[in-house]
Amino acid sequence: MNRERFIRQRRGDWQQLETLLTGMKNRRLSKWSGNDITRLSGLYRSVCYDLSLVQSREWGARLEQYLNDLVAQGHNCLYRSPPRSLDTALKFLSHGFPRLLRERRHFFYVSLALFAVPFMIAMIVAAVDPVLAEQIIDRTQMEQAGKSYSKDLYREIDAKYAEERSYMTGFYVWNNVGIAFRCFALGAFFGVGTVITLLFNGIMLGAVCGYIINQGLSDNFFSFAISHGSFELTAIVISGAAGLLLGWGMIHPGELSRRESLRVHGVDAIRLASGAGAMLVVAALIEGYFSPMALPHSVKYVVGAMMWGLVFVYLMQGGRDATDAGTVTDPHRRRASRESLAEAVE
Amino acid sequence: MPDTSKVDTRVTVETPEGVDFQFMIAGPGKRGMSFFVDMILKFGIIVVCLLLLSLLSLLSWQVSGISAGIFLVTWFAMSWLYGSCFEAFWNGQTPGKKSQNLRVVRTNGTPIGWFEAFGRNLLLVPDGMLVLGQLPLNTVGLLSMATTRRMQRLGDLVFDTMVIDETRQFISRAAGVTDGVERLRRSECIGRFHVPERTLAVIERLFEGDRLISDGRREEIAQTLSLALRSRLKFSEPGPDPMNPNTYFVQTPLKHTTFLKRILKTFSDNPDGRSAEPEDDIDATPLNIIDVAADGPDSGPNALGVETDAQSADMASAVGAVTPRQPFSPDGRTP
Repeated sequence: MNRERFIRQRRGDWQQLETLLTGMKNRRLSKWSGNDITRLSGLYRSVCYDLSLVQSREWGARLEQYLNDLVAQGHNCLYRSPPRSLDTALKFLSHGFPRLLRERRHFFYVSLALFAVPFMIAMIVAAVDPVLAEQIIDRTQMEQAGKSYSKDLYREIDAKYAEERSYMTGFYVWNNVGIAFRCFALGAFFGVGTVITLLFNGIMLGAVCGYIINQGLSDNFFSFAISHGSFELTAIVISGAAGLLLGWGMIHPGELSRRESLRVHGVDAIRLASGAGAMLVVAALIEGYFSPMALPHSVKYVVGAMMWGLVFVYLMQGGRDATDAGTVTDPHRRRASRESLAEAVE
Repeated sequence: MPDTSKVDTRVTVETPEGVDFQFMIAGPGKRGMSFFVDMILKFGIIVVCLLLLSLLSLLSWQVSGISAGIFLVTWFAMSWLYGSCFEAFWNGQTPGKKSQNLRVVRTNGTPIGWFEAFGRNLLLVPDGMLVLGQLPLNTVGLLSMATTRRMQRLGDLVFDTMVIDETRQFISRAAGVTDGVERLRRSECIGRFHVPERTLAVIERLFEGDRLISDGRREEIAQTLSLALRSRLKFSEPGPDPMNPNTYFVQTPLKHTTFLKRILKTFSDNPDGRSAEPEDDIDATPLNIIDVAADGPDSGPNALGVETDAQSADMASAVGAVTPRQPFSPDGRTP
């Protein structure tokens, strides 16, 4: 077939595909008619064939470019991301996320150590010797923290309370989730950024804690912090684990190529980080509305302990039963899910 | 086809249909522009939110803590979720990317998913690092883009994505070649005012950019076709312009080349000129697509202007289409 005959024969289809594409590209998936889809996929495949024909016969760069663009457009129109539903997201949070965390628990433990050890040390140091603690953090900052726990701010739940707490909830979302995401993202520097963030946060929080204990305000403080601390501290550690996972994928690809390793670890890391983000939003709601309530300390301790139990059960048992629930796609994940299945059987 | 991946920013992707096609990778310039557009948009949304909320507070005569909370949550969403949500729901585009015709795809050409969109946007933090004062310079991202073939920043590398340029420009088929020449006027030609598609394609090949032909040689090659076309169109050569004879003497040595350029300009740039006398092998309503599709350089073996038999035959057959009985032989064009 000669080039001109080919063009004359085929350009009708090209035109059709072009008009079809301009019509469908910006329309929502749900508004595509079945007829259109059939026509699109048929035309797209035939244009694919045309492109390979033109490529093999070297029938001109511009014709090839034109067909190439047409194929690229059709490809992007036809192969698009599957529609996301709220259901998928909820399923991920209830099943996929805890399962993934258990699968990557070593990173969680390392992250926990990086956070908890400096926390403990700083707390003990500051509780025993506040003067030494001043070497670590600013005195005014500590005093301010101490002051905010020295008295009960809210005796009753009124309109002013609700307003202030809404503001604080917004602040907690903005601040804490931001910290968690940054902690994860800095893992891209071979994990160094995450390690620094974890250590830094551990020391700071520990020092403040120790100072408050030293001032004898521990009851006020712990009754406030225990309920949301369950979600908040765990989520910070999880986001740290995500960052470490990212860094580990860079440092130690193992049997994979570095590119492949980055991809595998990166996808797992971002899943962990999104789960941590969701947990922090829950924590912000608790911290904003429940923690400062004018309730007896004992009630808060009980609820707080229940919260810790809830987090523990959620992370340990979530997704153990339904093996088909999570989105099990790549071979790596599939292997992992078999492992967790074996665990469940045991 | 020649491997161009080392020279320009195209990346070859294989479709599930088994066909290779190419994506154009977007460079830092366009991505910077789209980043800037997105930044302005984000800032605008935050400001609008602030204005609305303060208006509400003014109406209720008190600064509401709730609106402050909403403001902070909006700020949070703009700084962390804006890019990822748009890229996840708009098939890899944010408004800024849409304005620059960019799209994020996986490196195998398939669309990105939720987690990839989210992750690559979170990694804007390390990519935007190495700051100078308050000014983020995106040094890490730029370095990473400079050193990877697909111009991926860290976020792209980790999540195996790339940003492609979807701009498609329909170049008019005679772009650049026919600058500075006039159209043929109907009054100049008393014959049939029509040149078939195939002949135009041959003329175009003569003016291909990748063909190293000296002007003199091109004039020689053009002569055969030019003469045939002149006799078909019954083109009457204008004499020197009495007011300005200089151009005549400048153009006469290249008169065949100029004539072919004018043919090209008249019949391929102007669809009306073609549809004036529709012939059986030409659509009555030529569209842009036909122009692009029907033209095309032959990046074949004779790209260096070496006259091969194939090209001579091509030329001869094209001329044959103009005048069925050739008044010349292909041998007349000896190198």
